[in-house]
Formats: sequence, C-alpha cells, structure tokens
Amino acid sequence: MATKRLGFIVRSLPYKTEASRLAMTHAIASQTVEIYLEDGDMVEPVVCFIGDGVLNCLKSQQAMKHYGITSLEQHVKNGLLLDLKIMICKEDIEKLGIKEDSLIMDAEDIGGETKAQIVPYSEIQKEMDSVDHLLFC
Amino acid sequence: MGKLTIGCFASLVGSVSLDFAVKLSDAAVKKGHKVDLWVSGNATMLSKKGQKAFKDYSHLAKTLTELFATGNFQATACEACAEARGYHKDDTMEGWKRHSMDWYLASCFSADRVLHIGGD
Amino acid sequence: MKLGVFMSDFRTGSDIIDRLNAEKLGIIFVGNGIYHATVKENGKTSNVLDKSATFYALTEDLESRGFSSANLDSRVKPVTYSDVVDLIFNDYEKIIWI
Repeated sequence: MATKRLGFIVRSLPYKTEASRLAMTHAIASQTVEIYLEDGDMVEPVVCFIGDGVLNCLKSQQAMKHYGITSLEQHVKNGLLLDLKIMICKEDIEKLGIKEDSLIMDAEDIGGETKAQIVPYSEIQKEMDSVDHLLFC
Repeated sequence: MGKLTIGCFASLVGSVSLDFAVKLSDAAVKKGHKVDLWVSGNATMLSKKGQKAFKDYSHLAKTLTELFATGNFQATACEACAEARGYHKDDTMEGWKRHSMDWYLASCFSADRVLHIGGD
Repeated sequence: MKLGVFMSDFRTGSDIIDRLNAEKLGIIFVGNGIYHATVKENGKTSNVLDKSATFYALTEDLESRGFSSANLDSRVKPVTYSDVVDLIFNDYEKIIWI
C-alpha cells in the first residue's frame, strides 16, 4: 500500500492555452486512478496556484455564457468538492491586487466542505519539497 | 534501469516541445530505461495516423514506430482530448493506446521520474 | 530536494527560477531557453546564471539556433540527450519544465 503525491503547480493564465484547465482535469482524474493500481495504492494530488496562475481562481467567471465552455472557476470548485488540496499564493494575489473575497475559496454551493487555502509561497515550497513528483502547468 | 513518465500538452506542429519529449524518450530507451509517454490537449495530434512528412513541420511518426518496436516504450493519448479534436479510435496510429487522464496518474505512480511539459 | 529544471523559454520563467529553493539545483537550458546561456542582452549575461545552480545546455538546441558549445557562457556545460537522461536518473529526483 502506497500513496504517491503529485504537485500540480499552475502558473499559466486561463483560456488562452489549455494548460491550467488540463492541470485541474488531470488532478481531478485522481478520483478514478484506482482502476489502474493495486488495492490500497493511491495518487493524491495537490494543486498550487502561483504567479499569474492565481488568476484562474477569480470568482464570477462567465466562460460558459460567452464561450460555452466550463470555467476554471467551476473546475476549482469541482476540485474542492472532491476534497483536493488547493493552495493559492498569498504574495502573488497581493502583487496583482486581488482580495480574498474575489477568490474561489470554497464549493459550499455545490455541497463541498473543503476550502482553498491562501498561503505564503514558503508553504507552497514546502509542498513542492514533500510531493513525489512535480507537474508544472 | 528506471522508468520515466513524460506528459506533454504541446502540439506536434507549432511547437518543438513534443519533439523534445520524443527525442528524450528515444535517448532513455536506448540507455535501457522504460518510458511512458502521455499526450493530452493539442499534443494528442502526435497519435493521429497518416501524418505526412513535410520539411517545414515536425514529423515524429517514424521514431515512434521504432520506439514501439523496442517493447520498452508505451504511448497513450487522452481519449477525450482526441475526440474533442475530431479524431477517433480508428484514426489512431498503430501502437498507441487511448485512455482517460487517470492512466497518466497511474503511470506517474510507478515512475521513478516524471517530466511534465505543461504550459510552455 | 534535488531539482532539475528544464528551462525552455527566454522571456518567461525567470520569475519561477528566482523563487525556487532546492538543496541541489540543476538548470538545463533547452529550446529557446538556450539564449540564457548564449546571449548578452545590452552586454549583460542572463540573470538566471546568477542563481546558485549547475547549468547545462542541450547541444542540439544550441546548434539548431545558430550557436555552438564555443558560444556558451563559461558557467554552462553542453549536454546531449543521452547526458540529459543520465542527469534525470542520477542527479535529480524531481524534474520540472518551465
């Protein structure tokens, strides 16, 4: 029995490229990975938004209305609903003038209990140190 | 000998990051390692059969065929990413698998090293 | 951690490098990242080279862009794909691409 932790470090802006979207969908795919693993083995993702990547976490994204595609907001909420650990870099939101109340911090409206965490970069560095593999997106 | 899992989002034509992934796979297999290559997003183009070689565009099909023949290389394309781009199981090059994204995470589970070429 | 960083771009990614901490850090210039190891903008070498790290540049990507090992900054070692495989498996436990 083993758990491997994968650190998805999201630094890409949303929508122009698919990178941040794919980071979220790959992280969420951890929910079904057991079909390929031995009993008791697990993959545990942690998603960290750094740099410009924090802009994926803004509330009120209307991508479905304008482009007919799921917003990154919805993907972040889905991640929280599935109890993924989601961290947002404090220094980077401050640098970009973003207040906490502008960010997706929970998925209570869809029944989620896990909350996103705004943390100093040093905490994200600790996560990077502790995971088994790093996946920058 | 170890196992390297490479994931790539970058497209076959329009970027040489996927060339890097295939060249690195080739070098690793030649040194006796096992390689899993996962492609999603625009990188799924790499799994499309019938690619023609033009000198202005990357052409990796021949190298992939040689890599599959070694038995130490497997490549899998994200099924949803491919379907969204209009190519289907019948359009897939021989040797490739198509699965959902959990296949990649499982490959990462058993890998000694993971190189993920995400947003570049 | 022992971290190997593939730096694939010239104009982006330096901000990530600035912040990374690792007990052992290797930076492998690939793709357009090789310009960090070859170009002196306004006569000054890339700030990335000031990082405490071991530097490498992929020979194929140097040559593809009109450079050779002779053009490399003295802090940077030329490597082949075969060398890169050895770096991945022998020198760095985690590897990232930026």
